[in-house]
Amino acid sequence: MSYRKKSIRTSRSGRKREKWTDILPRYLTFISHMRPILRETRRIIADLDADLLLDTEILDKIREEEEKRNIRKVRALSEFSAMYRSNVYEIIKNFIVKYRETIPIIDIKDYIIEFLYESVDALNLLRHITNPDESNLENTFLFVLVKFIEDRVFPRGANLSIIYEKLLKFSPEFYECQRHLLQPHTYYREKINNLDLFEIPGISPKVYQIINNITSLFNLDPNFGEYPENDQVEIPMILKNEVFLPYIDSIANAEEEAIEKIAERIGLRSINEIFLAPTHDFIEILLGHNYLRETKQQSNVKRLNPQFSNETLILHYLAFASQRRGFLSKELINWISMNFAFLIYMGILKWKLSDENIFYDIFKDLQTNEKVLPYLMKLICFPNYLGLDKMKIRDSVQYRKEIFNFIGSTIDNLKELIEDIAIYCEKFDKERKNN
Amino acid sequence: MSEFQDSIWKDLLKIFENGIEIAIEKLQNRDIENIPGAKDALVQRLENIKVHFPKNNGDLFLKSIDDKIQNSFFPNTKNFTQAFSQILKSRTHEQDFIINELLNGFITSKAKAIALGTQGPVIDRMVEAFSKRNDFHIVDYQFYAMFGDPNKPKHYIKKQLEKLIDMFGLISKELVVEKDVRKSETKVYTFYTFPEDIINILEEKYLVKDEELGYTYVSDAFDRNVFICMFLANLAIHRDNIEKIGGAYTINGVCTIFALILLLSFMPKLTVDETNPILNQSSFDQSKMSVIPKSWMMNQVLETLFEPLIKIVAYRLGGGLWLTKIIDSEVNKKIMNQIRFLLKDVNKWILGNLCRVEIPIFVEIANIFTEVMVGYNEE
Repeated sequence: MSYRKKSIRTSRSGRKREKWTDILPRYLTFISHMRPILRETRRIIADLDADLLLDTEILDKIREEEEKRNIRKVRALSEFSAMYRSNVYEIIKNFIVKYRETIPIIDIKDYIIEFLYESVDALNLLRHITNPDESNLENTFLFVLVKFIEDRVFPRGANLSIIYEKLLKFSPEFYECQRHLLQPHTYYREKINNLDLFEIPGISPKVYQIINNITSLFNLDPNFGEYPENDQVEIPMILKNEVFLPYIDSIANAEEEAIEKIAERIGLRSINEIFLAPTHDFIEILLGHNYLRETKQQSNVKRLNPQFSNETLILHYLAFASQRRGFLSKELINWISMNFAFLIYMGILKWKLSDENIFYDIFKDLQTNEKVLPYLMKLICFPNYLGLDKMKIRDSVQYRKEIFNFIGSTIDNLKELIEDIAIYCEKFDKERKNN
Repeated sequence: MSEFQDSIWKDLLKIFENGIEIAIEKLQNRDIENIPGAKDALVQRLENIKVHFPKNNGDLFLKSIDDKIQNSFFPNTKNFTQAFSQILKSRTHEQDFIINELLNGFITSKAKAIALGTQGPVIDRMVEAFSKRNDFHIVDYQFYAMFGDPNKPKHYIKKQLEKLIDMFGLISKELVVEKDVRKSETKVYTFYTFPEDIINILEEKYLVKDEELGYTYVSDAFDRNVFICMFLANLAIHRDNIEKIGGAYTINGVCTIFALILLLSFMPKLTVDETNPILNQSSFDQSKMSVIPKSWMMNQVLETLFEPLIKIVAYRLGGGLWLTKIIDSEVNKKIMNQIRFLLKDVNKWILGNLCRVEIPIFVEIANIFTEVMVGYNEE
């Protein structure tokens, strides 16, 4: 008789499709461990005589005592709690040491308590960001914030023209965010042309250059040829070869081979396998936004002269990706959902925490981010929200480190969007309370 | 300047004149502008450049390149600290645009070529690495964690790190631990940071020192442009040592970028009709941008204008040594074509019009030319 324990797994190995009720508790796990630590600390500081704060060793002793009370059985959680608590105490100590000469200790105590209040409040909101059973969805922060951001950078619509229109409406304010959403920093894992699948990858720096070049070539010196759908009209077209002229040593070979796929994503098509010209649908859109100007030729044939802007083709790519969001590449899904999760998280923090709050750094710390954001990313992917394939969200710790490393290097335009989200949170909260 | 050098300079001015002549000829044959009078304005401007630039031994070039460009981006000194401080001083919010938009792509690709295993934005990660610590150092292990490939031996990434450190002119310090906690073995940690003099400069704005706790944090202003300034300063002081600065690739890249700055500064501002739809575009800010002719970007015109200009810049910045490194071939023509990639935010396409964002360096160089023109008209 074998003493080896029999496997209890009955289903096939592989990843299981996770349900809302599987992911939400995981999202809440770490948040519900952070909040009590901050609340306990707040209580301890409030009960402590202000003068005792001057001696930082007392704080160390309190922390040691608190750590002894740790009754959590799961090692990862107790480690996280210890780390989190020591960070909190360390920040408090540093704050006291820094200001004890200039600010009365009683005021320092008040500041610390106030900062802790704000932080607990922020965690409280993050904890109640949605409902376990998704009831009354329109009244939850997660839903309204996803929709708020979605409208600006990744809108939905019945057709491409409507999506393009919506993007264009917000592009004066948020074009850089819209562009950013298409440029995953892990682009080097992308395949620009996946022969087996209809898949939409993000824009790599080289593809971005190519799109810039195509825009310039259309604006500078396009050829004109017959509009396949209307022989009374001439449309602009550029030579495929010319797009790749600037590249030395065939460094854009992969892009050259995949040009038709890239072209499709930016609203262009191949004509006679030599030229690139706008598709029929895109021509309609371009005409509607003044990106094509009609002139009459002597032969009575109408000519459509291109007058593209920087965003003309990029926004088509984004609209195309938004419309076919079920076909996005793994990298792009991870990138988009990570950005949404980051914007929501930072928007809430911006709203709840004052700029000088000393605990901001803990919230922005990579160790905290990687405990909260991955699950938020998955929640955001559910059909009621972004509607992306959450099975493509990577769980590897290494990968999370890789993508979250870029969170710090945010672009200015993202900061503006975060401020808008914070203002919107306040407004929504007031409306919710009034109803 | 020796007689020999003088003759090279004269030849370059002559080649530039010829280039302009050909460009004007090419422009006369085609009109791709959609703003009335744009082509004439460009032709007129090129005619003026042809007449005035070679005058007084190319005095206008000397002022534009030796004074303005060198002062702002490529100081003529052997002192690293002085060069760094000068480049850093020329930073304004708008000037950062040009550093970002033009030099970024080039430096990032260079940094990428060095840290080949990762391909991620290397400079951003360096900024992050410095931001995460409170002593304004990065340690080699941090670097391995950020860029290392578990499938490759560590010495491979070590070499890359050293190249990167050289490229930015950072310095290293070693810390030897007799017995480490885990294995009781001797361990050597290498810390990298900025040279002491540079730290003193950075303290004014980019670093926050906490004397009491002994911490040094980076401020919000600390960004990738600090590394770009280090890179440029390092290049500027080692301009005579081509191997040290990355060979012909670097020289061609830097000269192309500075030639583009010159060319853009020379472009005339156009007046658009009040009914022009560009005026209703919210992305067009009349107070900060101006519409410039676009025909100079036509293939035929660009090459004839650009080739001599790159050589002139190379000669002014690095003398005969740099001039010989300018690749005078089909390859260089391709590099010139890459100018169109660089049109992102400093120069935007708005409804088919080329718009220049008026950053200080453009305005300063354009002013030199305007002064000469005013003087000439008064005469």
